[in-house]
Amino acid sequence: MIVVDSRDEAGERPFEEVFYPTDRVPFVEWREFSGAKPTVALTAAVTVLAFVTGLSNLSQAQPVVAGPLAGVLPMAETFVRFAGVLFAFPLGIVTFGLRRRKRLAWLAATALLPGLALLPLTTGRTTEIPLLLLILVTFPLLVWNRERFEQTLDLSSFQIASLTSILGVGLYGTVGSYGLRGQFIGLDGWGDAIYYVIVTIATVGYGDITPTTAEAKLFSLSVILFGTGAFTVAIGALIGPAIESRMAAAFGTMTASELSLLEDHVVVLGYGDVTESFLERVGDETDLVVVTPDADAASRLTDQGIEVLTDDATDESALEDARVDVASGVAVAGDDDAENVLAVLAARNVNPDVRIVAVANEETHVGKLDAVGADEVIDLRAIGGQLLGASVLNGSADGTARDDLLGVSVTGDRSDGSDDAARNAEGT
Amino acid sequence: MSTTDGTGSQQMLASALLLAFVGSGGVVLVGFFFPSFVGQALGGQTWLVLALVFFGSGLGYLAALPYERIRPDVSSESSLLRIRRGSVRAVLSDIVSVHDPVTLGLPILVFTLYFGFQFTFPGTTAAVVDGLTNSVLRGLGPVLLGTVLLSVGYCAVLLFSAWGDVKLGGEDVEPTYTYPTYFALVFTAGIAAGIVFWGPAEALFHYRQPPPYFDVAAGSEAAIGAALVYALFHWGISAWSAYAVVGIPIAYFVFERGAPLRVSAILTPFLGVDGLDSSWSRLVDTLAVFATIGGVATSIALVSQQFLAGVEYQWGVPPGGLGPVLFVGGLAAVYVLSAVSGLHRGIRRIAGLTVVLFGLFALLLLVVGPRSFIAERAPTALGAYVVNFVPMSLYATGSWVTEWTVWNWAWWFSWAPFAGMFLAALSRGRRLRTVAFTSVVATSAATGVWFLVFGGTSLSIQHSGRADVLAAIAERGGSEAVAGFPLLSALPLGDLLLFLFLALIVVFMVTSADTSTLIAAILASRRGVAPSRGSIAIWGAFQAAVALAVLLVGGAETLQALAVLTGAPFAILALLSLSGLSLALYREERGQDHTSIVRQAFDRLPEVQTHHDVEPPDRKQ
Repeated sequence: MIVVDSRDEAGERPFEEVFYPTDRVPFVEWREFSGAKPTVALTAAVTVLAFVTGLSNLSQAQPVVAGPLAGVLPMAETFVRFAGVLFAFPLGIVTFGLRRRKRLAWLAATALLPGLALLPLTTGRTTEIPLLLLILVTFPLLVWNRERFEQTLDLSSFQIASLTSILGVGLYGTVGSYGLRGQFIGLDGWGDAIYYVIVTIATVGYGDITPTTAEAKLFSLSVILFGTGAFTVAIGALIGPAIESRMAAAFGTMTASELSLLEDHVVVLGYGDVTESFLERVGDETDLVVVTPDADAASRLTDQGIEVLTDDATDESALEDARVDVASGVAVAGDDDAENVLAVLAARNVNPDVRIVAVANEETHVGKLDAVGADEVIDLRAIGGQLLGASVLNGSADGTARDDLLGVSVTGDRSDGSDDAARNAEGT
Repeated sequence: MSTTDGTGSQQMLASALLLAFVGSGGVVLVGFFFPSFVGQALGGQTWLVLALVFFGSGLGYLAALPYERIRPDVSSESSLLRIRRGSVRAVLSDIVSVHDPVTLGLPILVFTLYFGFQFTFPGTTAAVVDGLTNSVLRGLGPVLLGTVLLSVGYCAVLLFSAWGDVKLGGEDVEPTYTYPTYFALVFTAGIAAGIVFWGPAEALFHYRQPPPYFDVAAGSEAAIGAALVYALFHWGISAWSAYAVVGIPIAYFVFERGAPLRVSAILTPFLGVDGLDSSWSRLVDTLAVFATIGGVATSIALVSQQFLAGVEYQWGVPPGGLGPVLFVGGLAAVYVLSAVSGLHRGIRRIAGLTVVLFGLFALLLLVVGPRSFIAERAPTALGAYVVNFVPMSLYATGSWVTEWTVWNWAWWFSWAPFAGMFLAALSRGRRLRTVAFTSVVATSAATGVWFLVFGGTSLSIQHSGRADVLAAIAERGGSEAVAGFPLLSALPLGDLLLFLFLALIVVFMVTSADTSTLIAAILASRRGVAPSRGSIAIWGAFQAAVALAVLLVGGAETLQALAVLTGAPFAILALLSLSGLSLALYREERGQDHTSIVRQAFDRLPEVQTHHDVEPPDRKQ
């Protein structure tokens, strides 16, 4: 509470305002720099840098191979020429997966980053030192935050089936064409077999490898049919849900996977007269989900970029979808006090510990809301009346009374609000 | 409303800076990776400007980011708005009314007079100031040497005696700044870009012309040792003690006696807290403002010239007539933003970045440099430093000592008012022992390692003939500015080291200039008035104006000599304050239950003592 002290003595010791603005100033805000978000950002930076470095290597007629690993690594020149770009593409997908906190993406990243670190160690060029340094920073952070990337991939059975069939066709084609290599022109080993299958499935068909016997021709036809079929189905299965979720979001309903990412957010139950101004005040500071059965309100809020779950706010299963169990607070702000009581009860059932702040539209309902488990009840009419009185009596100090009331009532539902409340109280 | 406006414009500034940072960074990155495609398309000057925009916007972005732990301050936002909206006249009267007329007016008058003389009679002014400086430094040389040695001794006393146990602000006050923050702020405020330029150069200069204390031949094997020892000596505990002996008395009288935070607080034992309104204390504060602005502004001007001279030497990019002016302008924009944003935002973040870059550079240099040479020479030099410390401190014969050691001590003392006061202001909740340890031992350990690594590398490269750095210096008229370039080019990863080297010059200059701006604004404000953001910005602009005037009118060295001259009175003031502090500590803290660190160490070892008591026969054998 040094903030309060320095203001009291502002006349005498002004330098404290300059030198002691808060009671603790650390060297680095570790939480800001060590969480999951910086990890994702750093991985993205590694991806970009790997791509640029890779392009730089590709653009050289003769790749430089002068690093400490140059002698150890087989095919060092080929590796140096292509590694940067070829690592960058999967890393891009991995970054996307990390953003959604996927476990599989984390595993892939821990495998890809050390592989990518081989590149600067092989070339030994000055221009690749930044990449190495960045990887050296990113990798420990990735390991440190391993528990933050726990989302399973959640593939539907259809998606699993289509991915498996692609893999199956690939195996079938490769092994089969290798086995039949005597009946092909220009197919000599495993490398040729893989090349042939991919060229065939992609319907490119250069024609440098051609089947000569009926058996080989039939085999090739089957690869084309199964391969293109599996490929098409897989694309539909993988891309379709993404488009679906976009459409659903456009209609004001969050998908289950989007909701599952929420944490430490504030859930607003019901839509009433105070909701808009409440959202205006709190909107920028924390993640929000509004649960309301009112479809008009839902589409309006969605237009403003606020997440909405169009569902009954008194229904426990809807609250579970809105992740009340991991929310930092619940604001019950409907126009109907009976609904509000039910919503408080439902929220309390889902999460016995969460802080619940409820709005009472009638003064006589304050006690009831309190009794069913609201931590704080805001009586709208009483506040309005007090404001009116304060404003009439104390016209010159306009705003302070209002700020005071607003400060206490709004900041009260944030876990770190006590400081602000104290400041506001001090300010009057 | 004012809050939302203020944060809105701050966010806009932050995102504009981020855009400039990412944009220029992208172009620099492309040039770095594809020199053959892009390198020739843009001229050298464009690259220089892009690189500087990259540094500057990055640092500015750090400063403009909001501090996550506190809300934007409502009162200061509104004052900023008021200044923005008021007429010029109202603004000026506002600013004059919160300032002390003497401390505001006198330095401005002196600087104006100086530039007037310099402009009309450049030769005479330079001759007069040089003559004055020479006679003062020669006359007061022994006094300065003695003061510095005494300061070191006093810091040792504070470190080991019971007085070191005194906690500033009372036993129950906890320090606001965590130790790494505290160290970073103290270290980077007290040192400007000099450490970067002199890192490779100082030892080389002593190698070319060995100090007379060591009777060795120039350029010989023995001269290497002498050069390293003297580099350590000039940047070691003696130098840093100058800040401590000004800062610690201020801190004690401010936090224990309630004196106002200004340099004149060191007069408390003689005038009393209520007597600090007297003209004596105003004189001290005015002198401090003059020393601060003069010292830092000339450093800014000289560093800008040296930076561009180095770039011209290395890449053949001519700075042009406008180059230094633009450079100073950009530097000023960054440090004013940093100072205005507040101690916990810009100043802290840039200080942290500086320390990290400093450590990274030293580490990299150690990896690619001549490790065995340094490993062999450093312990010897350290040993010689310890053994010869007292005789070197008292060695006062010859003009070499006046030119190097005495000038150096006067220089450190001229920076002591602002560095010391900054140290004092940050030290609430720390014990005197910790303050002395941080400001003398920890900081000089950092500079010591730097000079051993960087100086050792340059000596090794020069002595083995891998690069002739001394010839490059001589070619440029003996300027230390170019020493780093041929040296770093001769090492592996030279490009990266050079890039870091240039970045270090910029950040070290910014971290000193923003702090000095803040301190000057506090010193010039009326007692009891915290400097507003507007007044901090004005002091930053004034400092930049002095730097620009020096560049345009000339005579940077002369003005620097004038500022360094103020070191002499501050050395004498430091002597006074030390006796006053001793008296106060003797009177006030005698009855208190303070224990020295030596006693504490003994108290921790009861087993050892009982062990000896119980089994004496073992020892007899």
